[in-house]
Amino acid sequence: MSATPVLRAHGLGRKYDGYIALGSFAVEIAAGELVALVGPNGAGKTTFLTLAAGLLDPSSGGVEIEGHAAGSIEARRALSYLPDAPVFYEDLSIGEHLEYLAALHGVEDAEPRIESLLDRLGLGEWRDGLAGELSHGMRQKASIALALVRPFSILLADEPLDGLDPPSREAVFELLAEARAEGAALIVSTHRPDVLAAASRCVAIHEGRLAYDGAPDEAAVAGFFDHPEEGSAA
Amino acid sequence: MSTGQGTVAGSPLAALRTMRRARRRRYVERLDVMEVLYRVYVAAIFAAIALGVLAGAINEAPASATAVEWLRGHGPALLGIAVAVGVLAGLRTGAHGGPLAIEAAEVQYVLLAPLPRSAALRPAAVRQLRTSALAGAVIGAVIGNFVFRRLPGSPVEWIACLALFGALVPVCVLGAALLASGRRWRPLPAGIGGLLLVAWSAADAAFGWTSSPATMLGELATLPVQSGIDAALAAAGVAIALALAGLGLLGVGGILLEAARRRAALAAELRFSASVQDLRTVVLLRRQLASERSRRRPWLRLPPARPGGHPVWRRGWQSFLRWPPARIARVALLGVAAGALAVGAWSAAPLALLLPGLLLFVAGLDLVEPLAQESDHPTRRQLLPVASGGLIRRHLAAPAAATAVVVLLATATATAISRDPVALGIGLLACVPVALALACSAAFSATADPYAYVLSPELGAAVSAAPLVAASVVVGVPLLFAWAAHRHGGSVLSAAAGGAAFVALVVAAAVPFLARQFDNRDAVSE
Repeated sequence: MSATPVLRAHGLGRKYDGYIALGSFAVEIAAGELVALVGPNGAGKTTFLTLAAGLLDPSSGGVEIEGHAAGSIEARRALSYLPDAPVFYEDLSIGEHLEYLAALHGVEDAEPRIESLLDRLGLGEWRDGLAGELSHGMRQKASIALALVRPFSILLADEPLDGLDPPSREAVFELLAEARAEGAALIVSTHRPDVLAAASRCVAIHEGRLAYDGAPDEAAVAGFFDHPEEGSAA
Repeated sequence: MSTGQGTVAGSPLAALRTMRRARRRRYVERLDVMEVLYRVYVAAIFAAIALGVLAGAINEAPASATAVEWLRGHGPALLGIAVAVGVLAGLRTGAHGGPLAIEAAEVQYVLLAPLPRSAALRPAAVRQLRTSALAGAVIGAVIGNFVFRRLPGSPVEWIACLALFGALVPVCVLGAALLASGRRWRPLPAGIGGLLLVAWSAADAAFGWTSSPATMLGELATLPVQSGIDAALAAAGVAIALALAGLGLLGVGGILLEAARRRAALAAELRFSASVQDLRTVVLLRRQLASERSRRRPWLRLPPARPGGHPVWRRGWQSFLRWPPARIARVALLGVAAGALAVGAWSAAPLALLLPGLLLFVAGLDLVEPLAQESDHPTRRQLLPVASGGLIRRHLAAPAAATAVVVLLATATATAISRDPVALGIGLLACVPVALALACSAAFSATADPYAYVLSPELGAAVSAAPLVAASVVVGVPLLFAWAAHRHGGSVLSAAAGGAAFVALVVAAAVPFLARQFDNRDAVSE
């Protein structure tokens, strides 16, 4: 583990009306890691990711992004969040979304990056299309492009491959590998074994608690995909 | 930034402003100018007609010296209570993440971008304040235009003071909401703070003081009949209202993103539901926006059901006994406001006796909830071994009984304010038929199919408005009959009884009609 983790969660907890969605969760993620975040539905994966993105406030503990509190301007500069449900402005084209987001993050000449992302994700023809005109898979790819168009030190992706065809999945894996090679940390919430295979580390959450943190050994964490009681906890 | 061209430069804030300008420009370009002009034209015609009717209905005889003295002494505090209740509502809205409803994409992309959130949110907050203040000023000026005819003081004074008061009331309410949301106040302390202000203003009313900031603002509304120190107090009220809005704007960036995301999703649904006049969904979404949920533990547990009892009646009361405090307070407040409005209308503008019914109809939309739930789940209803019509008829009993309690509350308020036992007599005579009629009106509204007239929206709008008009009439008729008898020296209570009998006839026709609607729906689905 690096001395200065990109993400550090300590005693992180979140309650909803007495229900504990996440409890005393602690984890550190270093630069260049690709972490597969696994766990059954309702385990607390999305809660953890939204807490780290600063979209939720914790009930206890906290998250730091490059040493800054989640949600602070510095943390927002370093962190890119890809939600499970794509979100778009209804009156902007996909190209305008990308230009706008790049500008909001201070990118001065984003055009080459935008062109590249659209091309590699098969969205080139849809640059001037409105989000409402896109299929589910296209919207998901546009959302991925939006997460990648801006600079970041850590990417939090909530089930990014859902609804994508095999060539698109391949393109996304390549883009994630490039980001990782450039030193970014990636946390990918998933139910897919292929993400686990590409990961350098696996973190499993079960009933809001850290249930496994170690090598992405499919046999060790297989139970956390569907049957948590079969997994071997760390 | 040149949108669509692919080249961007400058700071994130500059990018934000440029994109917002571009989006506004595009929105304006897409507007159908003729359609907008037509709407303005129609609205202006209706407004002129309404003003004409109102001007004819309002008694223009100068108010008596006693009435002016009463207004001078009690007016500011009573208006202060109303302002304080508004601030309480604003604080509660703010504690639940309001009043801003931001686009989901704005939350995801702008509020997660590395730029100050206050700078991103302040324009929307200022816009909301500006629009509300303008609307309030217009309403205040219209009221001032009628008030100066009855009270001492020049037209300019009354119109200016009431326009300023009308502008500052929404500024206060929105300022309180922005303050609570930006400072992330929890609902309980925010509610307690608002209640303390209401209690302070009520103390002013009881003891004849002018100490609460809300009462000071009330001084502004009655300034033409006040003198000396009151002008300074009114100026202090104005300063406090502006300071509240300023504080709210300063802290707007502290908004909870969790609440902003929730409101973004609900506001989009709310806009759609309102556009198709789906009042039932609007009610449900508004409750979600305010995080208004039924209590897990009822206020009171009913004794175990007896075999052969009345399960539908019991189910209705089980629903009421789980109401959250905010809903109880809202319905009670609507009852009190209806009673106060009836007293004001009786002496100032008899045509306004049709307005208490509108307030009680809004209360009825909450009170008819058990029946509306049955309507919301047709499959479950159709699986029961009873005809839907009969079931719905039985479902009217509990809401009607609860509505009767609210009507009695309105009666008690009217009696307390007017100090006239005749008000109590009218209320008691009309209570049962009016409660049944209000429950029927609310039931028609809550169970209407919003898509039945989607191809003829004008007809849909008329059908949606019908229960509201009906509620206004069934409450207004006994009151208007009584007022007419009072004016012509007849028996007020006999006239009210006649009005109540008319309402009872309406109920006798409405209940079978409502039941038959459900039987017909079931027949179609089979």
